[in-house]
Amino acid sequence: MSQTSQKSGSQSIGQRRWKKFKTIKRGYYSLILLTILYGLSFLLPILVNDKALIVRYNGQYSFPAFTSLVASFPLVDQFVSVFQSGESLGQTGNPGQARYRDLQQQYEQENSDNFVVMPLYPYGPIEDITTDGNTAFMEPWSASDGEGSRIMGTDENGRDVFARMAYGFKVSISFALILVFLEYLIGIPIGGLLGFKSGWYDLIGQRFIEMWSTLPILFLIIIVVSFIQPSFILLVLLLALTAWIPITTYIRAEFYREKSKDYVAAAISIGVPTWKIMFKHILPNSLVPIITNFPFAVVAGITSLVALDFLGFGLPPPTPSWGQMLSSGLQNLTKWWLVFSPMFALFATLIMIVFIGEAIREAFDPKTFSRLR
Amino acid sequence: MLQYFIRRLLFAVPTFFGCTIIVFFIVNLAPGGPYEQQVQALKAGSGFGIGSESSAASKDGAATIPPTALAELKRYYGFDKPVYVRYLIWLGLWPRETDSYNVKLGEPRNVGQGQYVIVERNANGSYSIIDKDSKQSLTGVWTAENSVLDSTGITQLRVFKTEYAGILTGHFGNSYEYREPVIDLIASRIPISLQFGVIGLVLSYVICVYLGIQKALRHGSTFDLISSSSILISYSIPGWALGLLLLVLLGGGSFFDVFPLGGLQSREYETLSLGEKILDRAHHFVLPVIASTIQSFATLTLLMKNSLLENLSQDYIRTAFAKGLKEKRIIWLHAMRNSVIPIAANIGHIIGIAFVGSFFIETTFNIEGIGKLSYYAILSRDYTVVFAFTVIGVMVNLFGAIISDFVLAMIDPRIRFR
Repeated sequence: MSQTSQKSGSQSIGQRRWKKFKTIKRGYYSLILLTILYGLSFLLPILVNDKALIVRYNGQYSFPAFTSLVASFPLVDQFVSVFQSGESLGQTGNPGQARYRDLQQQYEQENSDNFVVMPLYPYGPIEDITTDGNTAFMEPWSASDGEGSRIMGTDENGRDVFARMAYGFKVSISFALILVFLEYLIGIPIGGLLGFKSGWYDLIGQRFIEMWSTLPILFLIIIVVSFIQPSFILLVLLLALTAWIPITTYIRAEFYREKSKDYVAAAISIGVPTWKIMFKHILPNSLVPIITNFPFAVVAGITSLVALDFLGFGLPPPTPSWGQMLSSGLQNLTKWWLVFSPMFALFATLIMIVFIGEAIREAFDPKTFSRLR
Repeated sequence: MLQYFIRRLLFAVPTFFGCTIIVFFIVNLAPGGPYEQQVQALKAGSGFGIGSESSAASKDGAATIPPTALAELKRYYGFDKPVYVRYLIWLGLWPRETDSYNVKLGEPRNVGQGQYVIVERNANGSYSIIDKDSKQSLTGVWTAENSVLDSTGITQLRVFKTEYAGILTGHFGNSYEYREPVIDLIASRIPISLQFGVIGLVLSYVICVYLGIQKALRHGSTFDLISSSSILISYSIPGWALGLLLLVLLGGGSFFDVFPLGGLQSREYETLSLGEKILDRAHHFVLPVIASTIQSFATLTLLMKNSLLENLSQDYIRTAFAKGLKEKRIIWLHAMRNSVIPIAANIGHIIGIAFVGSFFIETTFNIEGIGKLSYYAILSRDYTVVFAFTVIGVMVNLFGAIISDFVLAMIDPRIRFR
């Protein structure tokens, strides 16, 4: 008995917050589910793909889906070729990329030792109407001859909506995470400096920030994107240009408050260098607002990517993205599945992140209201 | 206090110039501007039109445009001057050239309204301009300049008038795309955007304040929990995306045909009676207004709720209860007055959101308002319009913040800005 109470007494504030976080079920489960989904999304090339997992042709094995899994990571993709010609696998008259779904049927009819194992969901996010068997605007749960059904149909280019939705998840989350990381990287030092130094630094810095936050950033992004082909990294950088400002505001206020406390005075009096006071002493005490802000910054990151893609100034086609899917839904309003699928994905993702955010806020910054009556 | 606001206004000045400089330079340095677009159009156009005559001159299939024409086009768009001069001209701090005419030395030239001028060269190389009939010197009114057109050294003498006309003098220029003054163009769109912007603003304040109060009073009840979920949902979905979903559901494409697909009015709007006109407009407004209301729904409601809850747990409320005041009176008179402060202070921010948000909602619902105008201005590189919107956007942001502070100071006498 006394042991347990001692244990809880020796718990760090971090442990207590984590414990509190775990008691808020929908936030906790959202975190687990989202983490699993995001982890799985890196395995998408072997789960949802038009490339076969295993191909056995005349005694030779090949693993095209695994090759494309390797190629899905940045930097490595330079060294891996996912191309495998149809003729080399016995698909006569197809010197281009092999069509594994057709191959599977062909091998089955031939009744030979050759076989193809397709991924769980055998359609890719990029293959379009130019590949045999893909038709534009297939309805959900419909299928072309001898193939599995399309869970969410196809879009105006014959691309599989479910596959694009799934790949769009990975793109969106990765984008937002990198963006938020950059925001914090820029926002924390600047905010810390402004709050800690104050005086002229603060005055000039504040004017600069005011100017920067007044910039019509959406205008500028659209103008820049209209003459430079946007890449993932370029878009992150462009959005990060102004997205760090709220972080700076939080951190500045925290530093401003913390610097007048005794422990800072003590650190100054024993001659601790300024940068050390800022980052080793004050920063750990100022993290609460930016930690509670984190999920909401991710929400903002995802929404701005979707918005840019929706306007057509986002990631270059044919990158699977929810915003692009929504805009093709706007152009084909009678094809309801085009809007429903990305909307569902966007909504489910965002609400899970908001649940997490709500739980984190509850755990880190609990507000108790006492009320009469 | 007055000092504080004067200082804020003074600080807004460098911010304004800083912002416009950044935008002006980025936009001007971006390739594909109106001048280049016009050159492209000319090349394509003359390639088809003159055909065989010009095809000999050009090897790559595109027709060659005479350098004089190019230079004049460049001058028309003002691109013959360096960027900083263009910025100063745009501000109105550098003379803008108007009424440019090509002239030959010593020959009379009609410069409009029956006036003829003669340009003569003085001994020191400068030019003097004389009215042909009255022989009066017009050097103060007209300026003559001999400019080199291209690398081969062809020169062109011309006379032009100058004036200081820029945004500081209220001159926003003409739209390249619509060939009408930018001010008129924007003014014609403002009522449209304002109509559903204001309706959305009022609706969201009314709904959010009411809902926030009810949630605070019934904190922890089933009603509070259920409405919290709907707030989370509204927070998780951007307004324009929800609008898109509603369009699919209710726009008659696939499911229910309840609301029109977009636009502001039916095709037969002009033939309707006044009552029908209002109904028709309202019918078209429902979805865009819902979409624009939802954007600030979550933040406003929670702000209201938390602020009221916080006030209800204060000592002065305890005192009020202790001395036996009625609950209604305590809540509506004592707690409410303090609780609306953060809500009221949010108004400047909301004005800004209404401005930017309409950009997406107008695109989604195909409403010809300010947002859509600015969107297409960027697409077509209609620089004068883009800059006008930059100015408006910067002003809305700057004054939104100042207005928020001002409102805060007005309603809360405890607040001291220094």
